This record gives sequence, structure tokens and C-alpha cells, in this order.
Amino acid sequence: MADTMSIADYLARGGVLSNPENVPPRYRAELMRLMATFVDSEMAGSAGFADIINEAPGIAERIAAARIVLEKADHAGRVLAVMAEFGADTAKYATHQPWTARLARDADIGPTRSGGDMRLSVFHYPLEGWLDAVVMNVLMGRAVTVQLAEFSRVSYQPLAEAFRAILPVETRHAELGEEGLRKLLEDGALEAAQASVDYWWPRVAASFGAADSTRLDQQRDFGLRHRSNAELLADWRADTAALLAEMGLRAPG
Amino acid sequence: MARFHPLTVTDVQKTIRDAVVVTLEPDDPAAFAFLPGQYLTFRHDFDGEELRRSYSICAGLDDGLLQVGIKRVEGGAFSTWANEALQPGDRLEAMAPMGNFHTALAPDAARHYLGFAGGSGITPVLSIVRSVLAREPKSRFTLVYANRAVNTIMFREELEDLKNSYLGRLNVIHILEAGGEEIDLFTGRVDAAKCAQLFRLWIDVEGADMAFICGPEPMMLGIAQALREHGMSDAQIKFELFASAQPGRLKRRAVSAAAQSQGNTCAATITLDGAVQNFTMPKDGQSVLEAAIAADMDAPFACKAGVCSTCRARVLEGEVEMIANHALEDYEVERGYVLTCQCYPLSDRLVVDYDQ
Repeated sequence: MADTMSIADYLARGGVLSNPENVPPRYRAELMRLMATFVDSEMAGSAGFADIINEAPGIAERIAAARIVLEKADHAGRVLAVMAEFGADTAKYATHQPWTARLARDADIGPTRSGGDMRLSVFHYPLEGWLDAVVMNVLMGRAVTVQLAEFSRVSYQPLAEAFRAILPVETRHAELGEEGLRKLLEDGALEAAQASVDYWWPRVAASFGAADSTRLDQQRDFGLRHRSNAELLADWRADTAALLAEMGLRAPG
Repeated sequence: MARFHPLTVTDVQKTIRDAVVVTLEPDDPAAFAFLPGQYLTFRHDFDGEELRRSYSICAGLDDGLLQVGIKRVEGGAFSTWANEALQPGDRLEAMAPMGNFHTALAPDAARHYLGFAGGSGITPVLSIVRSVLAREPKSRFTLVYANRAVNTIMFREELEDLKNSYLGRLNVIHILEAGGEEIDLFTGRVDAAKCAQLFRLWIDVEGADMAFICGPEPMMLGIAQALREHGMSDAQIKFELFASAQPGRLKRRAVSAAAQSQGNTCAATITLDGAVQNFTMPKDGQSVLEAAIAADMDAPFACKAGVCSTCRARVLEGEVEMIANHALEDYEVERGYVLTCQCYPLSDRLVVDYDQ
């Protein structure tokens, strides 16, 4: 056994990095991209949900929505703090995109990003009222849980730790969505809820990224990914379809 | 943004032949409040070129001192200078303490910590050992410390003193590559097999709460593997990797000939992931990043606003104008680093490398 090995070998064999000092350039770029995607998505998600607070039908719902807005902003801040160690300007970053901006409801952008805004494509679509926001939160909440379980294993330890702290809170957000949806269904909103599910299902699915992502092998070698987009998407489909079926809703195709 | 603060060297002590412990007095002590296991990043000018190096704090929280350990690395400009020329009274500059190699301490906690250090990897671990023993009276610490030979053991006496001051709470297991111990268990390299032996005969991993590992890459991999096999989760294992991978003296960037503009296009050569592409790009209207992407290169980017630094690359030849820069520091810019999303060519020829 040699005394040292290259960082690439170290990472490929499951090694963990803990500060910006030893991070190779390409790893740094992939890591920054991963973090920017998360931060932008949380900022946009929080901003979009902020408007929904005032549409909440009751005090408990109002509190749940406000809590989601608050905690998603907090999660963005935690990951932005990791980015800051690499030189990102956090004060500028927090305001450099119009986080509330949304496209038209019927825009069809697939999984594409827009300009420098790294939010997942699903966060470019507008929420239409309380029920729609609740359904989106249920579907996306489950997706975030699957994605964060994957990202909690990234080889950059400070980020893995941030994600491990964030995961249970995001899981709770998804549960709050489920509680809200069950209440709406009890009040007879089945048809409207199904229409929302039909709208959000393909858009949330697209947030898992391309099935044939060319960067996956590189990300795997870096220990930044372990499972493929397709595997994560399959988990989400199975898990969420079962949840919907149990509520009397149907997962599209 | 990162800022440097001045400090005065008050003491330089040799611990072993090629390592010193440097005691520092900051002008602004508040800027240097630290967590055990964190490091300081120093900058120093060598013949007109600024070098930055990070060294871990070895003092404990309650030692009332700011101390770092600096082991001389073969060919390392900073560590050689620190070992051979640094004296009390010298002034240094460092950034506020950074790093995540620590865990929150609680006075009531009764934990069992494991530490694994290879060579100078002891430095941050020693800070954690000292702080745990002082701040958590019910906790204990088991340290596995790997070295080549007895005379290369940094902080050997300090560790003995700690064992005596905190009787029964600190257990130090020295593993030497050669000589020293007669017993096989305590001789050789610390790899997965050695750990498996230690965990079977000597260390109760199942009863341990947290492990800290700092050493060369292969050692860290072997230990982490053994710890996981004994039931530790990733959240319980903290890593710090420094020592072996720090490069020596940086080569000075070749000074480019005065760029002479001839037309409105630029012949660009861009390296990304080891592959080189040549293409012609306009001098305005398209950033270097956009041109690389237009040439089907998977160039890295995120914010496209000069904020996140994802698209950083190094200009090896030619000149660019960087419109905005909110992420790179002066010393990086001096070395030729740019944010390619904000860069437009000025010269007729441009060579950019994303891999540096």
C-alpha cells in the first residue's frame, strides 16, 4: 500500500473530502452545480409558496404553509453557507435571481433550465390556488425526499451533513402536504385534486433529470452520485403512485 | 468574503526534526475564535508570488492559545519557510478559522470518541482531544496514532501529559511502521486489516459514539471501511484530508506577450476534462463560457452572474476582459483565474483551461 494516492482514486474508492483545499477543479464544478441547483430550487420553492400562505383555508394550514416557506429558505441558507467556503458571494447570491418569477401554466420546458437560474424546471411553473399548491407539495415533497436520500451520501462531507440535517425537515413538509390533501379530499375535492395531479406528475418527474445523463459516470467516480436518475425516478413513481392510490387518486401513465 | 487578519508569531517550537508548533497572537482575537479541529489559511509572499497554505490548530479550546502545527513537506515552500526561517516577532496573515472537522461538545455528555491520526494528521485531532477532555468530564477518547518511527511522533510528550492529567480517560495506541513495539498488533500500517484486529482485541467500536480520521488517503479509506463494517454510520465518521495532497511551490504563470488585436474574432483553445478543442469565437457578444458550450463542450456553470464561481477556469495565453467578478479573489485573478461566464476575449488568441 502506497502512502498516498491521487484524489481521483481516493474518491472512486469511496473517499470523502472535507474542505475546499483538496477539491479538484472538475469535482468543484460538479459540486457547485449540485449546490446551486438545490439552493435555487429551495429559494424558488419558498418564494412560490409564500403567496399561497394567504390562500390557506384555516389557521393550521396557514401555519403549515408559513413553516414550509421559512424552512425552505433556511435550507437554501445552509447549503449556500457551504458554497461560501468555495468563494460564492452569499449576499449577492440570495438576490441574484427573481425567485418569484414563473412561466405560463401551459409552458412546456421539459427538464431545461432557464439562463443562469439553476432551479429545477418544476419550480418555473405557477401554483394555482391552495389545492394546486398542496398537490404540488405532495408530489414534489416525495421527490425531494428521494433526491435528498441520494444526496445525503455525497462525498463532500460538509454538504452531506447539511443534507442529512435537511432531509427530516423536508420529509415533514411532504407529510404536511399529505395531511392537507387528505383534508381537501374529505371535503370532496377529488376531481380538482386529480386534475392537479395530472398537471404536476410529468413536471415533477422531469425534475429527476435526463434518464441518459452523460455526467452520471463522472459524478459516480467523484462520489457525488451513487444511483442514476432513472433509478431515483422509478422509486418516486412507485412510492408516490401507491400513496395516491391509497387516497383514491390515480397516477397518470 | 474571505478576509485576512494580521497575527504576530510569539513562539516557534520544534516538536520533531521537521515540524514546528507556532504560537500566534492575533491583533483581533475575536476574529480567531475557533472550534476544535478547524484550520487556519495563511498567505505569504514568496518572490512576488503569493502562496496560501492551511494548517490545523492544535491547541484546545481552553488552552488560551492559538497554535498551529506545521510539518515540513518535501519541496513545500511555505512549510519549509515556517520550519527554517519563522521567528517570534514575525507578522503573518491568516483567514478566520474554517473547517468542519468537529462535533458539538456538551458538558453533560458521556461519550466515547475514537481518533485516528497518521503523522501530522495528529494536529486537528489533538485539538479535539484536548477540548473533549477539558469540556466533557464524563467522556473518554481512544486515539490510534500511526507514525513511521518513534522519532517522527509529533506531540508525543504532550499526549503523555494529557494521559497523566486525565487519568483513565485518554488511551493512546501508537502504531509504528518500523521498529519500536515488539508486538505485531502495534507494528505496520494502519489499514482495514489492522483496524479489524484492533477492533477485535483492543477497541470497542460498537460502544463508540463518533470517530475522527485525519491522515493520508489510503489510511482514511481503510479505517472508514473498517468502522462501517463495525456498524458506524457515515454521520458518525468525520474526515479531514490535507497533508499529503497539498502541492509544492506553484509554477509561475508564463507572462503572455502583449496581446495585439487584429480582427474581431479570436482563435480559442479550451481544455476541459483533459480534452482540447480549438474554435473561432467572436470577441464580443459571446462569453468564453457561452462559446465553449456552443462548441458542444460540457463546460461547468451555474449562476452565469459572476457570483457562484462554478465556471472558473485559468487563462494560460491571451487576454480577456472580465465584466463582473463577485467570487474570485485578487490572488486568483493574478494567477490568471477567471469566471468564464463573465469573460470576453481581447486578444486574437486565447488558451483557457478548466482543469486547473
